[in-house]
Amino acid sequence: MKALLWVAILAPALASPLCLALARRGRMPAALVAVGSGVIALGASVVALLHGPVAAGADATVGTMPPLDAGLRIPLRLDGSGPVLVVLGAVTLVSLCVQLYATSYLRTDDRYPVFAGTVGLFTAAMILVVTSSDLILTLVGWEVMGWCSYLLIGHWSRKESARRASQKAFLVTRFADIGFVLGVVLLATGARSTAYGDVLSHWGAPGVNGTLRAAAVILLILGVLGKSAQIPFQDWLPDAMEGPTPASALIHAATMVAAGTFVLARLSPLLGESTAARAVLGISVSSTMILSGVLAFGQSDIKRLLAYSTVSQVAIMLSPLAAAGVAGSGPASFHLYAHAFFKALLFLGIGWLGLVGGGTAATALRGTARKSALVQVSFGFGLLALAGLPFVVGGLSKEHVVGVAFDAAREGDWVAIVVLVALLVTVVLTAAYSTRAWLVVMAPDSGRHGPENEQVVALEPATTGDDHHAPPSGVDPAVAVTLVLLLIGTVFGGLVLLTKLLDVNGAIDWALTGVTVVLIIIGALAAWLLSSGWSVDPAVRLVGPRMPLFDRGLGVDGLYLAVVAVPVLALAKLVRTVDDHVVDATALTGARSIDWLGRRGDDIHRPERPATGLVWVLAAAVLIGALGVLTWH
Amino acid sequence: MALILTVLLPLCVGGWLVAGGRHLQRSAVGLVSLVTSVVTAAVAIWGVIARSSFDRAWLPDLGSRLHLRVDGLSAPLVLLTVGIGILVAVHGLTHVPEGGRPSTFAGSLLVVEGGALGVFLAGDALLFFIAFEIVLVPMWALIGRFGDPHNEAARKDAAARFALFTIGGSTLMLLGIILLIVRTGTADLTLLPAAVAHLPHGTQLLAATLLTVGLAVKVPVWPVHTWLPPAHTTAPTAGSVVLAAILLKMGTYGLLRLPVLTVSNGFHSIAPVVAVCGVIGIIWGGLVCLVEQDLKRLIAYSSVAHMGFVALALSTGTAAGFRAAAYGNVAHGVVAAMLFFIVGGLKERWGNADLATARAALRETWPRFGFALILGLAASLGLPGLAGFWGEFLSVYAAWSSGTTLLRWCAVIAAIGTALAAAYALRVARLVWVGDAVPVERVAAAGRDADRSEMFVLAVLGVVTVLLGIIPAPLLTVTGDALRALGVGS
Repeated sequence: MKALLWVAILAPALASPLCLALARRGRMPAALVAVGSGVIALGASVVALLHGPVAAGADATVGTMPPLDAGLRIPLRLDGSGPVLVVLGAVTLVSLCVQLYATSYLRTDDRYPVFAGTVGLFTAAMILVVTSSDLILTLVGWEVMGWCSYLLIGHWSRKESARRASQKAFLVTRFADIGFVLGVVLLATGARSTAYGDVLSHWGAPGVNGTLRAAAVILLILGVLGKSAQIPFQDWLPDAMEGPTPASALIHAATMVAAGTFVLARLSPLLGESTAARAVLGISVSSTMILSGVLAFGQSDIKRLLAYSTVSQVAIMLSPLAAAGVAGSGPASFHLYAHAFFKALLFLGIGWLGLVGGGTAATALRGTARKSALVQVSFGFGLLALAGLPFVVGGLSKEHVVGVAFDAAREGDWVAIVVLVALLVTVVLTAAYSTRAWLVVMAPDSGRHGPENEQVVALEPATTGDDHHAPPSGVDPAVAVTLVLLLIGTVFGGLVLLTKLLDVNGAIDWALTGVTVVLIIIGALAAWLLSSGWSVDPAVRLVGPRMPLFDRGLGVDGLYLAVVAVPVLALAKLVRTVDDHVVDATALTGARSIDWLGRRGDDIHRPERPATGLVWVLAAAVLIGALGVLTWH
Repeated sequence: MALILTVLLPLCVGGWLVAGGRHLQRSAVGLVSLVTSVVTAAVAIWGVIARSSFDRAWLPDLGSRLHLRVDGLSAPLVLLTVGIGILVAVHGLTHVPEGGRPSTFAGSLLVVEGGALGVFLAGDALLFFIAFEIVLVPMWALIGRFGDPHNEAARKDAAARFALFTIGGSTLMLLGIILLIVRTGTADLTLLPAAVAHLPHGTQLLAATLLTVGLAVKVPVWPVHTWLPPAHTTAPTAGSVVLAAILLKMGTYGLLRLPVLTVSNGFHSIAPVVAVCGVIGIIWGGLVCLVEQDLKRLIAYSSVAHMGFVALALSTGTAAGFRAAAYGNVAHGVVAAMLFFIVGGLKERWGNADLATARAALRETWPRFGFALILGLAASLGLPGLAGFWGEFLSVYAAWSSGTTLLRWCAVIAAIGTALAAAYALRVARLVWVGDAVPVERVAAAGRDADRSEMFVLAVLGVVTVLLGIIPAPLLTVTGDALRALGVGS
């Protein structure tokens, strides 16, 4: 098991420098290395799955650091338990699909090898987070992922918008990571160890300082909210659409934004102990899932619609942890696993549609899915899973999430009640925007040039311009393979429940499923009615002229600037002025006064300038000195 | 014997180059300094592995001996110094700044290297001080004579500042050392801690204060840091590298060796002040980096911030803190050296290092410099997997786990400092690394990318940065063993 986990981490990690080294030899060697490493990592995770999980406590040790103090152990362990293997499988599959897809999607990009290398490093970091059983290893993977996201979002750095988006993504997440780092430090200090097992047993014991525990968990949650783009950090993710579509698929589907869910699931016993921490998480994710559901519906760009849907879906992923603590960890991991398949499918689908339509704005995409049956089917199933229809993987996992929130809410837990209400509202919203996306991409050709569409074009030109201009004539084999793989995952992924690797807390409550299905139908029907039978984009009718506000995410970017960036820069200017005119000047005063004394002394010794009062001062100084020496006992 | 050779070889060859090497051609000078630094490195490595020591009677009246020895705290810095010595010599094969003879330049660098090795190897407080002072004049010459050829006033100002601040600091340190020697009758660093423990607390406090303030200038700790930015800005590339990678380390190593480990009770009383100054330095340096317009000054201020982490770690007085400090020290040496090699190279090509001037993006025109820069920036912001992470993370851990309320607040503020580091690193990346596409003909016109000696230097430093990031255990073990031998930690 240990060797398999090693292989899964090292294969993509080593692919990264190798791709860079091979960059000069053209695209082919880098592509081979990138896809090959993806295959190796996937193979390792499949073999690990076939082997079955390691019993709890028998973690595979990666390496051991020397003890750092009278107690802090940093054992750097990896974990091979059931949920880890399931999520590992999803991550490696999606990553392989992304690498394969990128060989086609970025075939005219001169920096393809760099991209492939960065994706490799990104994947390795995510696998490290998933398999880690040590806070330090988690932190390492966590931060490296953030850095890779900066590189990937800013891949097309010749565009100012991509430069800004990548910087924003990294700064927002890193700002939130102040909390993550401090949370890790707090937990490690108490437990005198960074191993999950030690941390959980120390902080789970009765009699431990509950306030400190709540503080530590809330700090960790802050970091998670940042990486997962939850309120108040939600605004970086839609901007991150500036990255190439395969990068978006990777960031959204299987890695970065979902990583926090898994970390919190692993630490869920601590979350369960602290209502304050659950409340922070619950309020953030409840408001996030509704707000981003609304914003998703009103986006003029379908790729940004998917971005907001990710924000909303990650909130759904985190919600069972907020509602039920430990009991929520199974459903949370399951939804993470499910989301990986259908979101990757949707992104890779829309990447192809964007090439056909020449952009991802809703107006450009109208009717594009009609060009290819494969894309049509896979995009359709992706949207079904997103909307959460039963039996598709996303529906199954969402039912478990709602179920566990419902159980906790029945016990009267207020956080669970808030979460449950938000979940039910979100079901309607999700169904509505999923239907809208379908209505757009499947619109009959005649609808492509309606007057209302031109209005939207004027509002928001295609934000995600690609380097390719010629629309593809058909679906390329690499794209077809990835779509089929992810389609299989989306349709049959739910079968993983039969393996008992994930503990999702019981079966689905059919009554509850009935309720959600009704809610889905309401949302879908509303969108359909608004479209007046394919002829209008429902969002244009409902949101209309307010669309730019939706596109700007209600102007939260300006809020970030006003609340953080502007004050910090003002403070920086102040500090610089003080540094020059106070700190430095004070230090130099000593030098200046000695200089002045020296010149005066020089003056005294010049015959042409008769001695002034300074002589008397000096004489007095000598006299005082002499007195001091003479009277010294 | 190996150790005395390690110190004397660069000192003698350097002194000869300055005094008697005037007739030598540039290429001959380059060869002499390269051979000297390689041989010094070989001897030093041998000395470190053999754990050799050198001990002769010297000034019996002062209890001072000519004592050189190496332990786990000094060994990493010795290796860093000889390594940087080789890199600087390689760089000097093709890059000799204007302002004087090549022999003076190379000789000064070798004397600095020899003096720094003396500092790290000294087992005697007086010897430590003398070695500390040897470095001063050649460094002054490097800044004042070989510095930025475009701005004579700035050069003189920077060199004078460097000399004044450092001499001021050294004087205080000398007072502290003399106080210790007079009161205890020994200058041997292995005997001093036990002897000092018997002194009255007032004396210990005074000695610790004098030593700490004196050494803090060299580190530099806020608020005595204002000599560093001008010195870095004007110094030639090799001078900046040596300044960041070796001279600052003398300060932090001295802090650890003298006040912290030798006068530990006295230092304990002033540790809160050091912690607060360190943390102010972290935030202060980070903030200035957000608005600074000169790239070299910016990197210098980032050094102030990084040294703040080291000061914070030292002030905790715990084994974890000392390890964090030792790690941060070496990591900063490597990363800052890399950044100054890059920025120095850019300044040579651009003529200045002004960030306000619009230039073609490095990623488009000079991909080698671009890659090295983005790696260096990532390491500088403390990205895990690269050298900078362990020192900073462990500093925060050590500060929090030491348990006092003040240090816990310091830990929180230091963690905020890591976000500032990300902000300024990305600011530099956005201004310098990325940018609009550059037409092919302008790429050719922009000048040449890193040449072979620069590539060698950057590749070595890049590899070491990554290795220190992913394999932290050896360095942590070595320093931990040394601390245990000194009775600190378990």
